[in-house]
Order: sequence, then C-alpha cells, then structure tokens
Amino acid sequence: MQLSHSGTVIAGSLLVALAFNLLPWSVNWLWLRPDFLLLVTLYWVIYQPSRIGMGTAWWLGLLVDLTDGGILGQHALAYAMSVFVLLLLQRRMFNFPPWQQASHIVGLLLIEQSVCVLIATFVGDAFHTLQYFAAIVTGAICWIPLWSILHRLRTPETAEAQ
Amino acid sequence: MSAPHPNLTLFPRGLSAGARLLIYLLISIAVITADTRFHALDRFRAGVNVLLYPMQTLIQTPELTYDRVTAFFVKQAQLERENNALRLSFIQYSAAMQRYRNLQLENQRLRTLLGAQQRTPLHTRLAEILAVPRDPYQLKAIVNLGSQQHIQPGQAVIDEAGLLGQVTRVYPYSSEITLLTNKDQSVPVLIQRTGQRAIMFGTGINDTVEIRYLPHNTDVRTGDLLVTSGIDGVYPSGLTVARVNQIDLSGSRAFAHIECKPVAAVDRNRQVLIIDAAIPAPAPTKTEKH
Repeated sequence: MQLSHSGTVIAGSLLVALAFNLLPWSVNWLWLRPDFLLLVTLYWVIYQPSRIGMGTAWWLGLLVDLTDGGILGQHALAYAMSVFVLLLLQRRMFNFPPWQQASHIVGLLLIEQSVCVLIATFVGDAFHTLQYFAAIVTGAICWIPLWSILHRLRTPETAEAQ
Repeated sequence: MSAPHPNLTLFPRGLSAGARLLIYLLISIAVITADTRFHALDRFRAGVNVLLYPMQTLIQTPELTYDRVTAFFVKQAQLERENNALRLSFIQYSAAMQRYRNLQLENQRLRTLLGAQQRTPLHTRLAEILAVPRDPYQLKAIVNLGSQQHIQPGQAVIDEAGLLGQVTRVYPYSSEITLLTNKDQSVPVLIQRTGQRAIMFGTGINDTVEIRYLPHNTDVRTGDLLVTSGIDGVYPSGLTVARVNQIDLSGSRAFAHIECKPVAAVDRNRQVLIIDAAIPAPAPTKTEKH
C-alpha cells in the first residue's frame, strides 16, 4: 500500500469534520454551513473506496442524525445514496483534478440534500425555501481547500517529511 | 489482506453496489419508521449523546479560551465605562425593584383576598449552548445541562429578554431545546394590551412566529406585546414572548393572519436560562367569571 495507509488519518479527518459540523454557528449564517463530514467522506470514497464505502457513510449519517436530534435515518440514507452515486463515478473521479471533482461534488451534495428533503416531507415536515440548497454551493467552494489539506495528509512524501 | 492493492481489484467479489444500496435503503426505512412512529430508539439516542458529550465540550474550548484571553486584556477605560453604565442601570433597577416588591406583596394579598392561586417565583438555571444542528430547518439547540442536573422535558427556556423555547429531549449530560420558531412548537399567549388569549405557532422560519385562529374583528395592532398566558401549565404566565409585526386582514383568509417577531434573541444566544420550578397547573375546576 504505497498511496495511503493509516486508518488513523481517515478516522481523524472524519472526527475533525464532525467537530466542524457541531460548532455552534449563528442561525443567520447556518444555511450557508457546508456539510464538512459529507465532504470528507466523499473524499475518502474517491481515494480509498475499499475502506470507506456505503456502510461507513450510512453510519456517519446516523451519527449526524443523532447529534442533530433529527429524524433518525434521514441523513444515514442520504449519505449512503450520495456515496452510491459517487461509487459509480469513482474511477473517473479518481483521475480528475480537484476543480473538476468540485463540479461533480455539486451534484452529489444535491442528491444528499434532496433525499433529506424527501424524507422530511414523507415524515411530515414542510419545505420552506430554496435557501436550504445554498449549502451545496458553499460545500463545492470548500472542496478545493479541503482536497489540498487531505491530499497533503494522504500522500506519503509530505507525511514522511513531517 | 488477500488483495495486493485495494485500488487494483478489478473484479471485486461480494454484493454489487446496487444491492448494497437496496439493503441500506430498507434498513433506513426501518429506522425512520421505528424512530418517528414508535419512538423506539430514544434510549439509543441518549446513549450516543452521552458518548458525544465530551466531544461537544471539547469543541467549545478554543472559543472559551479566546473569550477568556480577550476578557483578560480589556482596557481599563473600557472597564470603567462599563462599570459606570452598570452602576447607573443598577440604581435605576433597584428603584424599580423596590416598587416591584411592594406590588408583589400587594398582589399576593389581593390574590389571597380573591382566593386565586398564588404565583410562585421562578427559579432559573444558567445553561450554555453546546451545539446547533446543521439543518437550518430544525431550529433546535443543544445545551450543557441534562437529567443528571435534574432537567426534565417540558421545561421552559428563556433568555434575558423573553421566552426562547422548551426543553424537548433530555440526555444524561445535555438536553435539546426546541426553539419558539420551530414549526412544531406552539405557545398559549395573551395579548398584553387587551387580554385576548391566543395560540402562537412557530413557522419554521427564523425570527417569525404567527398567531392563528383569531377572527378578523379581533383587536390587534402592530407593536402589541404577547406574553405567555400560563393556562397550559407548561409555561409560567407573564413571560414576554413576541411583538406583533404584521397583520393581514384580507378577506380571502378564514382567520386573521398575524405575524410576530420573538422578543428573545432566538438565534444569537450563547447562554440561556432554564426555568426550574414546577409550575402549578391552574385548578381544573375554575369558576367562570362573568
């Protein structure tokens, strides 16, 4: 395994992403908050599909539901769904430069949020505004810096230099 | 590991991605049903929240340290200015407080004369917001007091300005507050100017609540203050809730459409007060006064 390795890097990055998701933001800006945990999950699905797959994504989504106090299983299914689509694209995404990946990430985030809205609607919540989907754009913007951070953690040269 | 390189397994064995997705879909549907219909997973939820509590407190530390450091390096002049302002407001408040005490005693005496129920003073506890859900339509917050601190579901939560919401789920070390603006939240209120009773509903939209089911001829004006009426036995009476913002009396609606803005800083707080005292429910056999 020359490319990456440590499950600790993966687990650590996912933990940090969850921590970012839990930060108390002002409600005024809450609709802009990207889903860091999903972004990091998608990153690892692209580069480590044998380790992080649909199952991990499902459990992480369940964790999000537990921390949010929302409908249990809502984000779990949404995460699994979006990772499923990514798995279909994985070979292609693996070779894309990050900006091109970002354009696909928009679609994947859209799938996740649409599934969330769909489940919420089935359970009886009303959907209010399109503002909810603003987090997709901020998520895609965050992809490139996130990619460069995780890439540095993943590639062995810099990891050994550290 | 049997595979020499995980990225090079061209024909992975096992279930196909579609089949796995189907399995997760079915599990998810089962979990969603169990949670929303039968509330079967509440204990699981509480357990995981106990595990998450240290993480949530850990996340707070950078911000708290920053606050502490900046608080340490406050300018002397600023402190003096603040101190003066506080002293001034203290004098003003203590004058008002003396009158308030007198009024309270007088009110108590009158209430005993009338045979009405005594009002109990409120006991509050300071709690700190730990986390806010990422989904902006949840309109909830997690605070750092839980069942170990004898918090119970149903307790009202206020800030220094007015009613903020209600404790809806209690975990051992933290609890979940549903904000006033949440669409599942409703509060019995009283229009302070007229005494008209009404029920206020959250809209799911930040900073907006509405009164439903009031007829068109109700005496309501913009700027009217709404306070809790206390008739539900959940919220103590007399807490400031909201101010009427916009009234739409168009005949196309069956009822008046009254939009209000919560007085409490629903979205900007770090600290909140949880009202402790058990609120005596109003006597069920109340004689009608006419």
